[in-house]
Amino acid sequence: MDAASDVALDILITNVACVFRTRCHLKLRKIALEGANVIYKRDVGKVLMKLRKPRITATIWSSGKIICTEKQVKKKLNLVPDLARSLQELGFRVIFTDFKVVNILAVCNMPFEIRLPEFTKNNRPHASYEPELHPAVCYPTKSLRAALQVFQQGVSQ
Amino acid sequence: MPGGGRCPDCGSAELVDDSHYSQSQLVCSDCGCVVTEGVLTTTFSDEGNLREVTYSRSTGENEQVSRSQQRGLRRVRDLCRVLQLPSTFEDTAVAYYQQAYRHSGIRAARLQKKEVLVGCCVLITCRQHNWPLTMGTICALLYADLEVFSGTYMQIVKLLGLDVPSLCLADLVKTYCSSFKLFQASPSVPAKYVEDKEKMLSRTLQLVELADETWLVTGRHPLPVITAATFLAWQSLQPSERLTCSLARFCKLANVDLPCPASSRLQELLAVLLRMAEQLAWLQVLRLDKRSVVKHIGDLLQHRHTLVRKAFRDGTAELEAGEKQQQGWGKSPGQGKEEAATSSLDRPEGKRPASPALLLPPCMLKPPKRICPPPPISTVTGDEDISDSEIEQYLRTPQEVRDFQKAQAARQAAIGVSNPP
Repeated sequence: MDAASDVALDILITNVACVFRTRCHLKLRKIALEGANVIYKRDVGKVLMKLRKPRITATIWSSGKIICTEKQVKKKLNLVPDLARSLQELGFRVIFTDFKVVNILAVCNMPFEIRLPEFTKNNRPHASYEPELHPAVCYPTKSLRAALQVFQQGVSQ
Repeated sequence: MPGGGRCPDCGSAELVDDSHYSQSQLVCSDCGCVVTEGVLTTTFSDEGNLREVTYSRSTGENEQVSRSQQRGLRRVRDLCRVLQLPSTFEDTAVAYYQQAYRHSGIRAARLQKKEVLVGCCVLITCRQHNWPLTMGTICALLYADLEVFSGTYMQIVKLLGLDVPSLCLADLVKTYCSSFKLFQASPSVPAKYVEDKEKMLSRTLQLVELADETWLVTGRHPLPVITAATFLAWQSLQPSERLTCSLARFCKLANVDLPCPASSRLQELLAVLLRMAEQLAWLQVLRLDKRSVVKHIGDLLQHRHTLVRKAFRDGTAELEAGEKQQQGWGKSPGQGKEEAATSSLDRPEGKRPASPALLLPPCMLKPPKRICPPPPISTVTGDEDISDSEIEQYLRTPQEVRDFQKAQAARQAAIGVSNPP
């Protein structure tokens, strides 16, 4: 790519994973019976709650630990407390604490295709390409504390 | 020999310490007289360092190899022998297994993971020596799940800090093609289907290189591509007798599993070959299709580099050229058209040539997935005026009026009964 023909690259945040605690014991059976849009996985001991607006999938454990994954993040992540509120409406004395963003997934489209075998050869030993397992090259970066997945279409995650 | 002691029988000074089983005795070496003897039993304080030590407190645990590790090392050696690997590979794989076993996470792992670790060590050794071995083969030999294998493999590569090179496609083609049972006539393989190994190998290699050049191999499992290329190579060597044979039948004859994506890889490869055939003048008039193009694979592969350049255009270069052309047309439309006309000097005038296809990965050429349109935002508030045609739907019929009045009266009566004055 020439420096003169610089193309602006947008990094779109697609998923955000966060964790918070409710500081109270949660009865999974009660949530499963009375909650809306829930899936009770009794063998594993967790409840999946899926909200439509915002698009959140929450994994709820009885200890009060909740992991949320929000898809198609367009606005500020300020709608996770709605989840705690829905648990409060079920009758639990929920306290929204220890909120922490654990993982962010972002996508960036390159304006060119990438030859993955050559890319791997030029970036050894960091780049790892196993076509039998995954179609992308895994490129962990210590400086950014991020792991990149580079696809042949030029999409980096 | 203790000093100062004498035998009471013969008076000799030659006394020796001897033990009769576990009892220590002082014995005269001349006459054999027992001068003194020790006690048979010892106290706890007397034993001191002679006390028994449990195995977990001893240093034997660190020095000795545990039973599960021994079993794992035996499995590594057995797997190397089954795969007929050189002895140096065996030693390297054993060393990797021992190195991995020193980590507490691996030592405390489940037996299933330790079993899979055997395959991982052998695979890493083969990759480092450019020996073509796929994960599927090892999983089949160990009866292991590919997901468990992949997790263990990535963990081991990270733990040991190894640099594992990628699988070499050319070597894999040679090994995989050699496993096809088509090089000798047998009761299951008719004579017309038997093929020379070297010819088939060289043609398959050329087809795989062509697939690699045209984005059909990158990011995909290599075996389905190789299977499709081998099938095309085999068909093209004697097309008159083999065109009727399907891919599934071919794999059955060759005694090889048919991987699921192989048929779609075959179609993609045939599409590429058809595009290349359009560039050859003597093939343009024949109006080839996906079956008849197989007969001309030999010619197409001979000139594949030139034909690929002519048949396909680079995606990004085309985009930049398109932008520049648009800018040029914005300024002077006449000049832009002249430039476009003079660029194709080898085409006859008056005929508009078919534009070359974009050389892009198939996933980029396919139409993008249709996104479900969001539901239209409803602007109905309930305060709109009702039109004359709809007004009758809101008026009650006489029967409905009577029913409503009866229901109201019954409700009033029920309230009157429940709340007595």
